[in-house]
Amino acid sequence: MKGYALRPFLKYVSRKFIFLLVTYFIAITIVFILPRAIPGNPLSTLLRQIFQQGQANPELIRSVHKTLMEEFGLGKPWYEQYIDFITRAFKGDLGTSISSYPKKTLDLIAPVMPWTLILLIPSIITAWIIGNTLGAIAGFKRGSFTDKFTLNFSLIVSQIPYYWLGMLLIFTLSVKLHIFPGQGGYSQGTIPAFTLKFILDMLYHYILPFLSIVISALGGWAIGTRVLVIYELDADYVNFGELLGLKEKTVFSYIFRNSILPQVTGLALSLGGALGGALITEIIFNYPGTGYLLFRALSTLDYPLIQGIFIILIGSVYLANFLVDFVYALIDPRIRLGQSEGS
Amino acid sequence: MWLAMFRPLFKSKKFLVSILVFIFIVLLGLVGPIVYPVDPTGYAGPFERPPSREFPLGTDTYGGDLLAKVLNGTRTSLYIGFLTAVISMSIGIIIGPISAIKGGIVDEVLMSFTNIVLTIPNILLAILIATYLKVRSAEVIALLLGVLGWPWFARAVRSQLLSLINREYVKLSRMAGYSDLRLAFEDLIPGIATYAFMSFILFINGGILGEAGLSLIGLGPTKGVSLGLVLQWAVLMEAVRRGIWWWFVPPGVIIVALTSSLLMITTAMDEVFNPRLREK
Amino acid sequence: MGNLVLQVENARAYYIVENNYVRAIDDVSISIREGEVVGIVGESGSGKTTLSNVMLVNIKKPLSLIDGKVKLYLNGSIIELNKLPREELQRNIWGKETSIIPQSAMNALMPTKRIKDSILDVMKTHFDEIHENEIIDKAQTRFEEIGVSKDAIFRYPFELSGGMRQRAVIAVATLLNPRFLIADEPTSALDVSTQKMVLKTIQNLREKGIVKSIAFITHDIATVRQIAETLVVMYAGKIVEISSIEEIIREPLHPYTKGLLFSVVTPEPEVKERGIYHIPGTPPNLMYPPPGCRFHPRCEYKLDICEREEPQLKVVNNRKVACFLY
Repeated sequence: MKGYALRPFLKYVSRKFIFLLVTYFIAITIVFILPRAIPGNPLSTLLRQIFQQGQANPELIRSVHKTLMEEFGLGKPWYEQYIDFITRAFKGDLGTSISSYPKKTLDLIAPVMPWTLILLIPSIITAWIIGNTLGAIAGFKRGSFTDKFTLNFSLIVSQIPYYWLGMLLIFTLSVKLHIFPGQGGYSQGTIPAFTLKFILDMLYHYILPFLSIVISALGGWAIGTRVLVIYELDADYVNFGELLGLKEKTVFSYIFRNSILPQVTGLALSLGGALGGALITEIIFNYPGTGYLLFRALSTLDYPLIQGIFIILIGSVYLANFLVDFVYALIDPRIRLGQSEGS
Repeated sequence: MWLAMFRPLFKSKKFLVSILVFIFIVLLGLVGPIVYPVDPTGYAGPFERPPSREFPLGTDTYGGDLLAKVLNGTRTSLYIGFLTAVISMSIGIIIGPISAIKGGIVDEVLMSFTNIVLTIPNILLAILIATYLKVRSAEVIALLLGVLGWPWFARAVRSQLLSLINREYVKLSRMAGYSDLRLAFEDLIPGIATYAFMSFILFINGGILGEAGLSLIGLGPTKGVSLGLVLQWAVLMEAVRRGIWWWFVPPGVIIVALTSSLLMITTAMDEVFNPRLREK
Repeated sequence: MGNLVLQVENARAYYIVENNYVRAIDDVSISIREGEVVGIVGESGSGKTTLSNVMLVNIKKPLSLIDGKVKLYLNGSIIELNKLPREELQRNIWGKETSIIPQSAMNALMPTKRIKDSILDVMKTHFDEIHENEIIDKAQTRFEEIGVSKDAIFRYPFELSGGMRQRAVIAVATLLNPRFLIADEPTSALDVSTQKMVLKTIQNLREKGIVKSIAFITHDIATVRQIAETLVVMYAGKIVEISSIEEIIREPLHPYTKGLLFSVVTPEPEVKERGIYHIPGTPPNLMYPPPGCRFHPRCEYKLDICEREEPQLKVVNNRKVACFLY
């Protein structure tokens, strides 16, 4: 890349970066405000509850209470609480869990996060690739049987929530046919380790949750890409290319390339929703990821843990968002080199 | 004029089939509970019975009648979907046009705000907010989903309006000195009416699916029955792994049939009204 | 007159829409000879773009060639293009023997590939074996001939200015020295100075012998006058008049040509003094064209016979016109 060509790229990437940083800051602020702004102040309710249970183990309860007071800074003016909160968030100190006192929430999240990533990343990428390819073929053969079939199939499949498809898969392939295990990330009783046996066992448990995300996510991509391809079919470069004798295969590859580019940014935008779906899928499958941890935190009203999970999750979504946009800027020459004029 | 405009729709087989499915489910939700007046929260019968003549969709772990739950749940889910759509739509239809018509700094501020809300993962935020709410009525759930769902619509309305504004007849209205509001109502809104209608349908879908998602994670409505709540209890009671299919299959089928019929309605409309997608 | 290059004989090309025919081209014959620039004018919807697709035999659903022949004269042999399968046309005819400068040349090049890669893709369809360096050398020579810097082929289309992009498209379209070139309203979207430049470039193509003959399609007689010798006037899917362009401007025969000439936005000097006139009515719906002469509902010289019988092209003073007035 020549020096002069680098500037639009850096401009694009740094603008994205600053935007995401600001948005992340706002998201953290929301996380800070919510428990304090909501009527009935859930934090003080929680504190009262802790005190009422005081007889059980007064020593422990008192120290939980002390930690909570410190970490939430209740009693201090709100701006001090806020500055405290932000600085600790950036230091990676996300507070202390109540339900697993005195563990730090970060120490609870760290071991489950990889499970969520391993589940989510390959499945959304697979869905993106298959869905876009199907949609592109359907759009290219507009009006054909393939097109109609793919469209209607995608329309229905895209409306199946990940988790319900997960339930159906568990019921049919696990409960009825006993082909795959229906829950967990690995067989009960085994200890996670880097052995071939464990990895195979993990993959075996991986198939159903993976499939439920892939199948229900690919429909949406197929529908979107199909429309993009149909729009592209009439593009001037397609007509010109055809009349210069380009083979159908080459024309398809042009159309595919140009329709897929906007879907790369689409991928960035869809990450949040996909993560939300995956969390619920984990609950359905008792998969040992963040969703399952969140579910436990929600049922014990472990606010510090809930907060911590959100700060990490939203941060990861933004980080992934940025990475996808970075890749997009690399592969679309119009952004890499800066579009001078025209459309 | 409206009738003539919609006539081609009724020639589309896809449109007819999907609108029939949709109407059927709406009737299930509206009329069903009246025709089948069983208390959905009662403990009427034996536990975990498969469908029979007495209990057409069987019963759950507490002996609740699942048909009554599904009928009433359909009603709640439709209500939440509809309310979500009204809320998202109202916000989008205010922000999009103001941004497009006013332009300049107003446009910039509104669009940055829109982009921020768009990039905040809204399901996560909905979960977080719902966590702190002790009482969550159906309306609260709809408000939550509606307030987080509008940005893509506002953006699309804005860009559609911008392309309309640059057309001749709108320029003429401007030169004729019409106020912004009059411009919005007389020239611009009709230009985006079908798009807005289709978006409304998609918002309903967002509401229905959003409710189900929140419920499954344990943050659904705190009283009443919804399709999501039926599913949540099925999961909590391990209905799936214990093979109690009549508990989790029907609500899912209704959700999928409802949302995909609505989606098909929008694509059928798109094919009819959008000449580029029409088969030549 | 030069040898024939391309000939369309009695072509009927209809769009099939919901079991109805849109008679976009109805019994049209046209001959294009070596060294000739033929202008084809008509309003939008007159079938001129369909005619360009027929001349190239780019027949794709919903368009269908119902009847007629398209012949390409190649080194003494005659190829009936309408009988060739699409793959054959792609491999041996399009881009090689026939080519086109499309209507919106601004966006005609693949936007996310370097121009050189688009060129290589075209070459790969025509030849089994290609030598990249050779092709790039040749392409660069052609680019310079046409007035684009030779480095432009290493750029993406959006990196070139509008005028440069336009010329790059012309260069790509004529890389293989096609015998026959269609220019489909190549100037309609351009400002006046770029228009002039593009017209000049197209003229050079013929003078340098890069292409043998050109069909220049436009709705604007003033533009085509700068470049063409022969003019074909189309109305509602039919040719109504063929003649040398100077004769048509001096004395248009067909009532439609008169209307077209008098309604030009920038009238030619000779026309100007006769006052501005516009053709009443609108072009017919080609799904249900009027019986007899298709122009008769709008024609102020209408005779009774015009409603019943279709006029054929006939020779009047060495010119051709399809009208019962002559």
